[in-house]
Amino acid sequence: MAAMKTRMSSFSRNTSVAPVPQAPGLKSGPNGTIFLSSGIPDLDKILGGGFPLGSLVMVMEDTEAPHHMLLLRNFMSQGLVHNQHLLYASPSKDPRAFLGTLPSPVLSKDDRSHNRDPEQLQERGLRIAWQYKKYFGEPQPNFDSHRDTKHEYCNDFDLRKPLERHFLTAQNICCLSIQDPPNLAAFRDCCAKFLAQFSRNNSSISCAGRVAIQSFCAPQCEYSNMEWDMLSFIRSLKGMIRDSNAVAVITFPPSLLSPSSSKRWQHIADTLLSVKAIPDEDKELANLLTGYQDMIGLLNVHKVANVNTQVTWNCFLADLICLRVLLSSTLFCIALQVVHIHPNIHTCDKFSNNAFHCCGVSC
Amino acid sequence: MAESICRNLRDGALEGEHAPALSIKDSIATPFGSDVFNYVLTKLSANILAGKSQSKGIVLVAFSRSPSFYVDFLKTNGIDLVSAKKWISILDCYTDPLGWKDSLKGPLDTKNFSLKDPIEAVLFRHVRNLDLLFSAIIEMGEALAGQGKGRFSVSIDLVTEMLRHASLSSVANLLSKVRSHDRISSTFWLLHSDLHEIRAIAALEYLSSMVGSLEPMNLSLNGQRGDLEKLSLLEQNSRKGKFHVRIKRRNGRVRVMCEDFHIEQSGINFTPVSSEEGIINQGLLPKVQFNLQLSEKERIDRAKVVLPFEHQGNGEPLHIYDGRRSLSEGKDEKASVSTENLQTNEDSGKGEIIYFRDSDDEMPDSDEDPDDDLDI
Repeated sequence: MAAMKTRMSSFSRNTSVAPVPQAPGLKSGPNGTIFLSSGIPDLDKILGGGFPLGSLVMVMEDTEAPHHMLLLRNFMSQGLVHNQHLLYASPSKDPRAFLGTLPSPVLSKDDRSHNRDPEQLQERGLRIAWQYKKYFGEPQPNFDSHRDTKHEYCNDFDLRKPLERHFLTAQNICCLSIQDPPNLAAFRDCCAKFLAQFSRNNSSISCAGRVAIQSFCAPQCEYSNMEWDMLSFIRSLKGMIRDSNAVAVITFPPSLLSPSSSKRWQHIADTLLSVKAIPDEDKELANLLTGYQDMIGLLNVHKVANVNTQVTWNCFLADLICLRVLLSSTLFCIALQVVHIHPNIHTCDKFSNNAFHCCGVSC
Repeated sequence: MAESICRNLRDGALEGEHAPALSIKDSIATPFGSDVFNYVLTKLSANILAGKSQSKGIVLVAFSRSPSFYVDFLKTNGIDLVSAKKWISILDCYTDPLGWKDSLKGPLDTKNFSLKDPIEAVLFRHVRNLDLLFSAIIEMGEALAGQGKGRFSVSIDLVTEMLRHASLSSVANLLSKVRSHDRISSTFWLLHSDLHEIRAIAALEYLSSMVGSLEPMNLSLNGQRGDLEKLSLLEQNSRKGKFHVRIKRRNGRVRVMCEDFHIEQSGINFTPVSSEEGIINQGLLPKVQFNLQLSEKERIDRAKVVLPFEHQGNGEPLHIYDGRRSLSEGKDEKASVSTENLQTNEDSGKGEIIYFRDSDDEMPDSDEDPDDDLDI
């Protein structure tokens, strides 16, 4: 029949391939964004590839559980494995000691405890899948994922094994304690100096950076009652991050801030996650959620960064879904699994704290 | 439960971990926090004396009660004070916290205890300087636990008092330093939750690994009861209450427990949650959304309702009720109106329902099946 006519228009689709980033540990995504991994493969999938460079990630802690440390540990370990620069700030006296608790990556791919391969599922025979969403894999993002044989984009980390010494003695780690200084000026200068190394002026990225700030408004820090100062620090950090090839992760406990401050911080984040503790030996919860024994907590994704796009990444934000942080028994890795809870079941009572906490997050 | 809290404190801290910290919160509705504090102190002392606990001594920072109170209290509770100087020291922040007496009277002997007193009590005059307080605590503790790796416990009588003298961030700093010090095995403190802002309470809960809060037995409903009932409630609350505990476990989960407690002459007693509470609640007026009983007025009104069918059941001749107005009214009105304006009434064209009955001997309800006359 008629051959395909070439279009005679002044617009032509730009089919040039996006530049593959040279540095390891980076992946290009849609709309010209470049991602770096969060250190948890499941979380990367849910967020659509990872944390985009130039974004600010905030994690709302639960005062009753240390799960934010797991996220931070994986984030930091992933950066060190990929030789990315790291700035770590925490309210403890000796932040370097925390580096000793970073997990080491699981080396062989065969040890994966969970396999999302859909063909395998179909081979198991007839199953009555009433929650059918569970049994199909999540829709794969349709950009190519280069799997370098040496450096995987995202590793599974074994939380029982500490990271090897040679990663920790490298020159690219900067640790800072934010407990003593009465104000945040020195901290801001340190961040500015660190982020200047990764500024975004050339097209090729030599190296990416990671900033990890733990428990930013912890009560033992002297600046913790200066809420406007903390907010302006975060804003200036966000501005610096936008101009650089780096990602910042800040964890904070929202119940220690005034409600308006807490809301402002939640709005300023590009990506907003929250972790929550679960009650122990709770029979009702055990009936409600499968795999309750292995669960250690809940992770909720409130907001995902929209960089260069108006379309939000579909990660089930609209439904009442909690992701669970799972420590599987074979490997002490963090696995996330989407938990579907029937919307009529009132789970908020189970997951909310004592009335005295003014927690800004509803489950 | 109180037993598991005391066990946690007795077991102490693992290497490289923060020491377990207990926060006891009470309020004016159940002002028994100090009883719970004394209970925990007694249990820990007993464990130390028996050698079962990780810590070798207690440093008690006394803000709200004098050292002599503690001496008497421990004596009456059967704690042997013979060798007390070896395992307990009191940092006396009660007698002269800001150093005023000292500056008024001039230098006197610093200890207002005679040397015969069983417990070592050191007067501390600078409660506003928390760094000094921290070093005093560590010094006393190390004297108790000896050189080497021995650990000691720290208990703070009233953190509410500390917050009066110093800012929240410095108190939080002190508490976190206490928790992370490698010679401290466990720590516990008391605070009054209604004297602080929510933020301060949240910060102290953030810093503790166990939170025990006292709550009144029955939360009162708002002002719907008589005075007698209120008095009986007050009486109940004056001796009893509920003790809620939240323990943060190492695996990241939270254990939530609840117990009843009962104050007696000898101290405080904890019992598992009783089912009395359910019975008490049913005695009070339950809040339901509909009324199952009719009041007298409602009964009278119900009797007055005119039923919209023929037989009113009171022997009167049949009047067809057309639903627009009541029967008696209609009769009077018609009579008065007809005498005045006959013409206009007929011409106005008001609607009227005219009902002609089909047949007078038709039974209203029949047991016959109406389909019986079909020939199929």
